Amino acid sequence: MLSAKAKTQLGNFLFVAPYMFVFAWLLVWPLMSGMGLSLFKADLFGGATFVGLENYGRLLSDPVFLQAVGNTFLFVLLCVPPLAIIPLILALLLNRSTRVAAFFRGVFFSSSVLSVTIVTLIWRMVLIPDGGFVANILAVFGLPPIPFFSDPGIVMGSMAIITVWWCLGLPMMLYLSALQQVPQDIYEAAALDNSRWWTTLTRITLPSISRTVVLVVIMQCVLQFQLFGQPQLITQGGPNGASRPIVLFIFEVGFRRWDIGYAAAASQILFAIILLVTLGQYLLTRKRTGDA
Amino acid sequence: MKTLVSLLIMALAISACSPKDERTHVTVQRIFGECRANVPRDQAPLRNPDGECEILTGLIDQFERENPDIDLTVNIVAWPGYDQLSAQYAAGNPPDVVSIHMSSMPDYQSRGLIVPLTAELAQVGVTAKAFTPAARQGVTIKNELYGLPFDNWTPLWHINTGLFAKAGLMRDGEPILPRTPEDLLAQARQFKAATGKPYFVQSMINERAAYTRNLYTYLMNQKAAFFEDPKHIRLNTPEARRIVALFKQIYDESLTTKDQDYSSATQGFMNGQGGVYLVGTWMIGAYEAEANTPGQPLYKSYTVKPYPMLFGPEQAAYVDGHAWVVSNRERTPTQNEAVRRFLKFLYDHNYDWSRTGHLPTVQAVAQSPQYLSLPHRRDIVALSEIGRTLPSEVQRQFAIQDIIGDELFSAIAGHKPIEQALTDAETRTNDLLFHLL
Repeated sequence: MLSAKAKTQLGNFLFVAPYMFVFAWLLVWPLMSGMGLSLFKADLFGGATFVGLENYGRLLSDPVFLQAVGNTFLFVLLCVPPLAIIPLILALLLNRSTRVAAFFRGVFFSSSVLSVTIVTLIWRMVLIPDGGFVANILAVFGLPPIPFFSDPGIVMGSMAIITVWWCLGLPMMLYLSALQQVPQDIYEAAALDNSRWWTTLTRITLPSISRTVVLVVIMQCVLQFQLFGQPQLITQGGPNGASRPIVLFIFEVGFRRWDIGYAAAASQILFAIILLVTLGQYLLTRKRTGDA
Repeated sequence: MKTLVSLLIMALAISACSPKDERTHVTVQRIFGECRANVPRDQAPLRNPDGECEILTGLIDQFERENPDIDLTVNIVAWPGYDQLSAQYAAGNPPDVVSIHMSSMPDYQSRGLIVPLTAELAQVGVTAKAFTPAARQGVTIKNELYGLPFDNWTPLWHINTGLFAKAGLMRDGEPILPRTPEDLLAQARQFKAATGKPYFVQSMINERAAYTRNLYTYLMNQKAAFFEDPKHIRLNTPEARRIVALFKQIYDESLTTKDQDYSSATQGFMNGQGGVYLVGTWMIGAYEAEANTPGQPLYKSYTVKPYPMLFGPEQAAYVDGHAWVVSNRERTPTQNEAVRRFLKFLYDHNYDWSRTGHLPTVQAVAQSPQYLSLPHRRDIVALSEIGRTLPSEVQRQFAIQDIIGDELFSAIAGHKPIEQALTDAETRTNDLLFHLL
């Protein structure tokens, strides 16, 4: 016979059981399967042979994979700071109850609802050196077109521009939501003290929304480490592999080469990178908050 | 409650009374796009009658009309369709008949996913001898036909004859084509000086396969055995270095368009941006239509030729092609019979498909006056004889094509020395082949 407390606990568990079941089935189990698969030489149709850590060894000596890792970190570094700062500026500017602000909130959020296919089509027309929008403007001034997609030194910057334009809607909304929760009486007190705009921003606003800033940075890191659609659709990872991120590498290895065990090992490394970066940021910011 | 249950039972009973579908069900999966809006059922296409999608949609309609006892379920997938197909195989539910590239057949054959068709085709009176040499080679693995060849395609020189004339490169109404690399460079310089435009139009940004196909063709032209066996490629060779050095020289001297992707290059040639566009057979119809439209830049200014042989007398062309394969899954005898009838129908309509610009695979069609009277076909039909695919047991040809193209572009655009790029291409390809199951 169950005790009354155990019965209550069991009853409580039943409320979360459906979610836990779906979570375990669709997330935990595939994750574990992927970890297991990374220890095998296998293709899409079975025939797996256990190879231990060989796939990881291959990855660490594969210059294409190492280049993809470097590309991914570069992309995250190019994307995350603008995606943390530009939406914050927009949110500060648009955090008012006027019709104009509401209109521009909609405008800046609208890019986020587009699919990656549409986004890349739009930006292809803007950046392509052969008759693109930017090239035409440069031509007016007698300047040569910029090879946004065919210069290895520029191509990741192009991907970052496209991604920032596409992704800034959600962080802006998160910042707006956080700004609207800062108590107005603090601002009133600051105004009574003749606080300047900059002082109010750095002493009241930013500290009040610091948790949201951390959330945005962590979220964008997780998202941007998974870059895939933009280079896949525009450059296929070129030129010279300069725009091939880890996920595109995984896709090519898994679905073009059918080397699914190797692709699974690369996926585990990406998972570990994202986990470490996220945990690192979380621990760092928590420590700072604690110190403060 | 009782009323509700009664109503439900009645509804079930009524739905069960619908006539039993006695037709044989077969699933067909194809690429080539969706164009039903342009091809009303059982009517001629409203536009683009020689387009791949329009012709195939019409053919499948015709088959269904002529075979009312067979119900075809047609899945249309985005090019190249292998992600979906692999997922369907992995899930144990592949379509019965699929259009795939000849270059992908070894992948599916080696894993036992498609069935040999020699005996099946023989039952409907089709033997290997009926096919052109290029088609036969493309679908034969270990002396068995593993697919019904539907076409062969290959890159061609699509030429703007108006610009060629302006550059003094026409004689008796025909373009003067180069015979050596030096010839080509001299012509390209002459062309640029006369027209102010680059000799070549090439897609470079996201089209990795084009350079690989150029390399294959000119390696074959030099009789280079770059696949000594299906698991090893040799690319850092004098023959390959010569080819890459030529294309690099063209790039360095800006004798080609740069920074174009596939759609820019395709449109650019149409707009007269350059003399020669290196692209496949599938563009013949579209450019021929432009050449027949007054006012268009290509009006009366278009022809198409096989790649001129620059490195020796050996006439060669790398070809690939589309084939219909049959998946290895359980089927009833009537379904197998339906599959055979569908394949025979496609075989019988090989001429219709060749209107797309692709090379016919049936020898009788390739030699027929009907086919040879189509625009430019006399110029290219020899490719169905001399064209060669890669050795039939080389797996992952799509992936290999991407790897080599990637490295070749790096060399041509100057991101890597030629030797290093060819060594990297060789190493990456051999690593891929080494790790096949």
